[in-house]
Amino acid sequence: MKIGAIARITFKEAKRDRILYLLFFFAALGIGGARVLAILTVGDRVKIIKDVGLASISLFGVLMAILIGTGLVYKEIDKKTIFTLLSKPLHRAEFILGKFLGLVLTLFVMTLFMSLIFLAIVYAHTLKVEGTLLVAIGYIFLELVLVTAVAILFSSFSTPILSSLFALAFYLIGHLSWGLELIFKKMTPGAGRTLVRAFYTVLPDLENFNFRTEVVHGLPIPPEIYLSSFLYGVCYTAFILGLAVLIFRRRDFI
Amino acid sequence: MAKTASAKKGTATILLVAFLTAAAAAFMALKVATDRVGREKLPGSSIIYIPSGKFLKYATFGYRALAADAIYLWAIQYYSTPTIDDRFDHFDHIFAIINELDPRYQDPYEVGALIAVQDAHNPAAAFSILDRGAANNPDQWVYPFNAGHVAMETLKDFPLAEKYFEQCLKIPGAPEFVERLRANAIFKKGDLRTSWETWLDIYKRAPDERTKKIASNHLYNVKAAIDSAVLEDAATKYRERFGHRPGDLEALVRTGFLREVPKDMDGQDYLYDPATGKVKTVTSPWRR
Amino acid sequence: MADAIRIDNLQKKFRLGFIPKTRQILKGITFSVREGEIFGYLGPNGAGKTTTIKCLLDLIHPDAGTIEIFGRSHLSPRSRQPLGFLPENPYFYDYLTAAEFLAFTADLFGLDRVEKKERITRLLKLVGLEQAARLPLRKFSRGMLQRAGLAQALVNDPKLVILDEPLGGMDPIGRKEIRDIIVRFKDEGKTVFFTSHILQDIEMICDRVAIIVGGRIVKEGVLRDLVSERVLFTEMTVSGLSPEAFRGLGESMSTRGDRVLLKVYDESKVEEVFALVHGQKGRLLSLSPRTETLEDIFIETVTRT
Repeated sequence: MKIGAIARITFKEAKRDRILYLLFFFAALGIGGARVLAILTVGDRVKIIKDVGLASISLFGVLMAILIGTGLVYKEIDKKTIFTLLSKPLHRAEFILGKFLGLVLTLFVMTLFMSLIFLAIVYAHTLKVEGTLLVAIGYIFLELVLVTAVAILFSSFSTPILSSLFALAFYLIGHLSWGLELIFKKMTPGAGRTLVRAFYTVLPDLENFNFRTEVVHGLPIPPEIYLSSFLYGVCYTAFILGLAVLIFRRRDFI
Repeated sequence: MAKTASAKKGTATILLVAFLTAAAAAFMALKVATDRVGREKLPGSSIIYIPSGKFLKYATFGYRALAADAIYLWAIQYYSTPTIDDRFDHFDHIFAIINELDPRYQDPYEVGALIAVQDAHNPAAAFSILDRGAANNPDQWVYPFNAGHVAMETLKDFPLAEKYFEQCLKIPGAPEFVERLRANAIFKKGDLRTSWETWLDIYKRAPDERTKKIASNHLYNVKAAIDSAVLEDAATKYRERFGHRPGDLEALVRTGFLREVPKDMDGQDYLYDPATGKVKTVTSPWRR
Repeated sequence: MADAIRIDNLQKKFRLGFIPKTRQILKGITFSVREGEIFGYLGPNGAGKTTTIKCLLDLIHPDAGTIEIFGRSHLSPRSRQPLGFLPENPYFYDYLTAAEFLAFTADLFGLDRVEKKERITRLLKLVGLEQAARLPLRKFSRGMLQRAGLAQALVNDPKLVILDEPLGGMDPIGRKEIRDIIVRFKDEGKTVFFTSHILQDIEMICDRVAIIVGGRIVKEGVLRDLVSERVLFTEMTVSGLSPEAFRGLGESMSTRGDRVLLKVYDESKVEEVFALVHGQKGRLLSLSPRTETLEDIFIETVTRT
């Protein structure tokens, strides 16, 4: 399968990027540091470890997705390897999807390793591994997948630095969605409110993938949200990828 | 042959756009659905680890004022969410952070004190906030003023109120009615002599008729209080001696407990009720 | 014989620069490449050769015009299934080994595993890179990269091979090797389309050519037809006579010792020179008629446009 072939070499290329290992090192440091921080708290130590651990996986995962993703397509165009690639019987969509899957695979591996370290430390403290922790990590990964799609979207038409900024902006906007909700809830009905509400619905809400608080405090998670959050992630990712394909198809490679 | 291929490319684009629209519609619908699912919010869960203001000052890399704004905005929403039961647990700490980050940001001091008194029922926190405000903004009279107000109305701690009103008066630009508040605080705390002198001073320096009238009324009130105390004290001594209350105030003079019966500031007699032994004024001090 | 490539009224303009200035690069290109022939596409730098190829490969979207590859529109990715492309510079993934790179290329053509393995081994042997199969491409020399490029262009055993400036920057031995390879392609029944500005090589191997100048095809046709057999002048080297003897018969180009190099424009005068030499007991050392070359046509065409 052609998409698979492109995904495989993208994975090969991505895993050579030193940034990946630098970020992994800091993530491990963060997770390990949680262990040290725990000694300073009064009370529930495990809570800090879980909090900091999940936050590290999330934060460094996003950085990996952005820093590597924004270079992926740009490098091909800059180094002109894209000429060799697109001169083959390939749809441009297959190229984008291949790159995307390759990076997702890379992030999966990195998340796996970070999670193993994290779960090992948690296990060392509690002698059990809660299923809910895996759920939280799973949805962190879904968020990473969406951010990857965004990084690739911007990478298909912009330089790595700008793409990184845009992708970062997307991430920040995604976590401030609740702010928009607050605003339009306090507005009087009218054109302004409809506009804000429209923005609120269209702009991403990355908090939908954030189960860290519930998991760490042992709060119940309503089961409906699993499906709707998952589908939300899938549909939004599909949308972003579709956009990337649309833009990429129209490009001239001079 | 070529034409149909470019037509194919056109339809591919149309299909792609249709797909995009469908995906967008889907995720928007899912967003609405997800919003509807209520997620339990842990009370105060978002602020379990609160760093000190000093730490944040350095951690915000120079965007201190912005951080102060953001935290303040968040705080307003947070404290107006009644469902979070324990939201006041770290109230002063949070406002301390805001004040530390931007000591010149005036609103948080006032609003914080307001919330402390009205919602948190924690006047101590209000004082803490207002003292900080005064310390960081020695040119602002509002802070000792508000503190005095809290002391006066909520705590009924009149010496404390007096102290704050005095502090307020030291600040140039403090409004002149603070003098009257101070005088009133002195009166309420029971130091009638000083209260009289203070009010007299205000009366003498009154810049307009209205102030003069107010001062005059208060002077009347203070004199009435002083006189009542004297009269009632004499009456009590009379009662101790004779076993019954005096019939009228003259009796006190006749029996030597008083040198003379004082009159109120307007020269009117005080009203004495032999049944209760209480002395009252003819008119209300405020309706002379 | 079907057309391997048919291009009709191809137009493309670019908007470049901060304040966009439009430059019309291709102004209506029309030509065809017949199946089984070697076709040379020449032109000065900036004429639009590489742009034409990029349009063909769907790397650039033309403003107008159509392109067909073996009868299939170039817009369909399948049109590139029978195609092999060697770019001017090697744009390859430098972290892959030669074998990995060829395997990846084979995957893109959809070759199955057995085919893939067999092809790769054969191709590496063909281009002489068997020893370097496990070496990452970034360690390859220029020549090795060129050979790897050729290998990747042949992975799918293409019916049509497109080469962009394959002879550029090579020494005479390298050029001969490439020429031989191209001729061998023709013998195998492949069609070859290549761009170049080394005209001697084109003259040696091409069946048909097209000359593009300023975005337009200014000459197209069978090489033999374009280049007439007309003799421009005859060069004769004689000895034993002084240059003055030939005044009126030809132009004396140079003298060395008693050797004179003559350029005789009039064919009839050749016999006279011959007779003169013979009569004066001199010696005719060499005689070569100079026919019109492609270079002459090229320069004439370009300067005329």
